[in-house]
Amino acid sequence: MKAFSQIMVRIPLILWAIIVIFPLVWMFMGAFKTNAEIFTSPWALPQTFNFSNFARAWNDFNIGRAFLNSFFVTALGSILTLALSIPTAYALERIRSKMGEVLINVYLASMMIPAVLGWIPLFFLLMKLNLLDNLWALSLIYAISHVPFTIFILIGFIGNIPKELEEAATVDGMSQYGILFKIITPLIKSGIMTVTILNAISYWNEFFMALILLQTESNTTLGVAMNLLKTKAQYESAWGVLFAGLCIAVIPVIIFYTIFQRSIVKGMTEGAIK
Amino acid sequence: MAQSAKQRYLFLAFCLLPTFLLFLVFTVYPMLGGLYYSFFEWSGTSSVKTFIGLDNYVKLWNDTIIKQAIFNDFFFVFVKVIGIMMLSLFFAVALTQLRIKEAPFYRIVFFFPNIMSVVVIGILWQFIYDPSIGLVNSFLMKVGLTEWARPWLGDMTWVLPSIAIPAIWAGIGLFMLLLMGGISNVPKSLYEAADIDGASEWQQFWRITVPLIWPQIKTSILYIIITSLNGSFVLVQVMTGGGPGSASEVMGSYLYQRAFEDFQFGYGAAIGVLILVVSLITVLISQFILKKEKVEY
Repeated sequence: MKAFSQIMVRIPLILWAIIVIFPLVWMFMGAFKTNAEIFTSPWALPQTFNFSNFARAWNDFNIGRAFLNSFFVTALGSILTLALSIPTAYALERIRSKMGEVLINVYLASMMIPAVLGWIPLFFLLMKLNLLDNLWALSLIYAISHVPFTIFILIGFIGNIPKELEEAATVDGMSQYGILFKIITPLIKSGIMTVTILNAISYWNEFFMALILLQTESNTTLGVAMNLLKTKAQYESAWGVLFAGLCIAVIPVIIFYTIFQRSIVKGMTEGAIK
Repeated sequence: MAQSAKQRYLFLAFCLLPTFLLFLVFTVYPMLGGLYYSFFEWSGTSSVKTFIGLDNYVKLWNDTIIKQAIFNDFFFVFVKVIGIMMLSLFFAVALTQLRIKEAPFYRIVFFFPNIMSVVVIGILWQFIYDPSIGLVNSFLMKVGLTEWARPWLGDMTWVLPSIAIPAIWAGIGLFMLLLMGGISNVPKSLYEAADIDGASEWQQFWRITVPLIWPQIKTSILYIIITSLNGSFVLVQVMTGGGPGSASEVMGSYLYQRAFEDFQFGYGAAIGVLILVVSLITVLISQFILKKEKVEY
């Protein structure tokens, strides 16, 4: 009975794996094809594996520049998120007071409110501050938008650290700043890893804020550049180049995720156990 | 002593203040500002903002496109909750409870779409549906169903389901992981006892698994509702721009077009408030419905 159901269950699993993988393989194959091949044999392997579509996407269609911009925004955004969240999470977890509770609830409530509501004022605020079309400002916006989520996850990890550790450090004459940076921060490393991976993936993939807040083509991030490339590719029927561009956007995250997926799962379960 | 209390407050201020101030400026102010702007008529280019009271809301009430957009938003919520929950629950059970050796492979692969940008997913699926180079039509022709082939995203009746499919495709992995976490915490002894009592796998699923992971199921459903109402527009904007006509318009894509393409920032802000109100009401109602289900074991 168990053996039978094992076979029956594998059918939908295999089917779904194909449904997930096939479009990605198709995209990857398309990146090596000429326009004629894409039209006449959409299911076939490319005749030759030449990288000219990748080169054209990278150089002629601005994907290289956008790739570097995305990288900058992702790295800076992730670092800023941690700098803003770790001290707050520590203070909120350790100093349980009325004010602290209110603050936690304010941060949590903001996660329920659609970001769309704030777009228009945010756009004009950045315009007034002369920060439109600025990658530093975009990174800061990303970081602040993920502060509530990051605090929420880190509080769980800090809560698992025994208070005695801090008491012992205080007796040894360590300052509160020392405790925060030299004891707490290293101890919640796996929590920091988990949120940073999740934050980095969403900064890398973000589209709409970048679309609204960035303006010149040399400043665009990958999402916006891909959307532009799509329009141009349709106009010039440069389908192979478009597929190559999609690959450039996807391959780094797939590699990144495959390397780190263990620590995501580990972090998710560790943080959940209280 | 006074010195140390002062130091303590300084430390707290150091920890909390900078973050909170930035949060006030770049999150709270824009959200309140959204509400404020919704009472004005404003093209954004001039400094002239005209206070028009509730006129934007009256206009919204009479706008047929926003009605279509709300309907479409709920279509996506409904189809996504059903599709994602059924599939991810099935996969989660299959990958945790039946001893399948290659389970880690499926776990990693099914999560791939979750790490891809919505823009990439949108563009990729736009080409899967493409009438001339797409996979769907060429597949239909291969298997002899030529008359079924159509420009999927240009078809008034097929455009919504066609966008819903990639939305489900991209959503499964995360919720499967979440539910797997819940299932692996269910004590094995319960299933062993049920086996001895002769309960079928189907009965075990409904009597043990579902009630015990109800918190995870509830969280997942609420999360799908919120992210769908607040985020479906990215896929819509990339794949169809709300078209053909306004057949696939959702509230978010409509806001973007009105504000950032037609420069009606006051009206756009009012749509933003509407999205907030609709999301809150929907979440409250669904929380109420989901709570009524009792856990019994």
